[in-house]
Amino acid sequence: MNTEPGKVNQVLENDLSEILISSEQIKNRVNELGKAISQDYSGKTPLMIGVLKGVLIFMADLLRAISIPLEVDFMAVTSYSPETRARGVVRLIKDLEIPISGRDVLFVEDVVDTGLTLNYLLHTLKSQHPASLEVCVLFNKSKHRLIDIPLKYKGFDLPDRFVVGYGLDYREHYRNLPFVALLKPEIFQSGK
Amino acid sequence: MPQNSQETKPKQSHKEEKHPSTRFAHSSEQTFARILDYYEIEWEYEPKTFPLEWDVEGNVVEAFAPDFYLPDQDLYIELTTLRPQLTTRKNRKIRRMHELYPDVHIKLFKRRDLHNLMVKYGLDQEAKQITGTQAQNRQA
Repeated sequence: MNTEPGKVNQVLENDLSEILISSEQIKNRVNELGKAISQDYSGKTPLMIGVLKGVLIFMADLLRAISIPLEVDFMAVTSYSPETRARGVVRLIKDLEIPISGRDVLFVEDVVDTGLTLNYLLHTLKSQHPASLEVCVLFNKSKHRLIDIPLKYKGFDLPDRFVVGYGLDYREHYRNLPFVALLKPEIFQSGK
Repeated sequence: MPQNSQETKPKQSHKEEKHPSTRFAHSSEQTFARILDYYEIEWEYEPKTFPLEWDVEGNVVEAFAPDFYLPDQDLYIELTTLRPQLTTRKNRKIRRMHELYPDVHIKLFKRRDLHNLMVKYGLDQEAKQITGTQAQNRQA
């Protein structure tokens, strides 16, 4: 596979089958999103909120593409897994530090798939009465969408495939890839 | 039109944990219900049966009961663990549903979709069950 020279370790590259979105494409799109957000929120000081950990890389680049004053905060929740399912419901493991009541909140996500997590988080945020609440997502996987959520800002549509990179992980790996790539089926089929 | 001839069964459940009496036809449905519960999504299990075909006397000869209904999303969901080559009958039912009930939103989660969903949530055992022999041969 032809990755970007010097940017990807051979061990990581061996697990990938194809680059879907290059780092250049991501950079350009993130800059476009930043410009749009800067225009739409001109005269305001939006509060950008992200949910850890996948959004980390996108958020870092998006913030630097926005030219207006802003604030940023993060939250973290448990995902459904064999370890967390016994507890029954989503648990907040890192709450916001900045009050959002009356604020123009822009919720930033790396990827939306079923919409289950995003729906839960938006409900939580709405209950705190922000002045406005919009969503900015970089990667949209709509095939399995269960909850229809308006996405004001959207970067790329992704196919129904296992993709990693630019924050997207498989078993906590591959987040550091500067591009988005398909994972070889034998990696996730083996449960490696 | 058939829109008004849907048979409505008593709601079986909103929360799988709170209503353990729900009898799922397949373990993948139970896992799916648990995921919905986890994210606090209201659901009903097979709440409606949609007639699809009638004989000359007007008797229903074929019907379809989607596995789940999400009331807040007004969305029906059908899960299948069948191999792609065995889903012809189910695909035909879904197509017929779209023809007869165009306002009813229904989404089909196929075997690969379910498998990927399980892998996404780290449910390796459940993912293996979906691709196992038992699941492949069952015509739901």
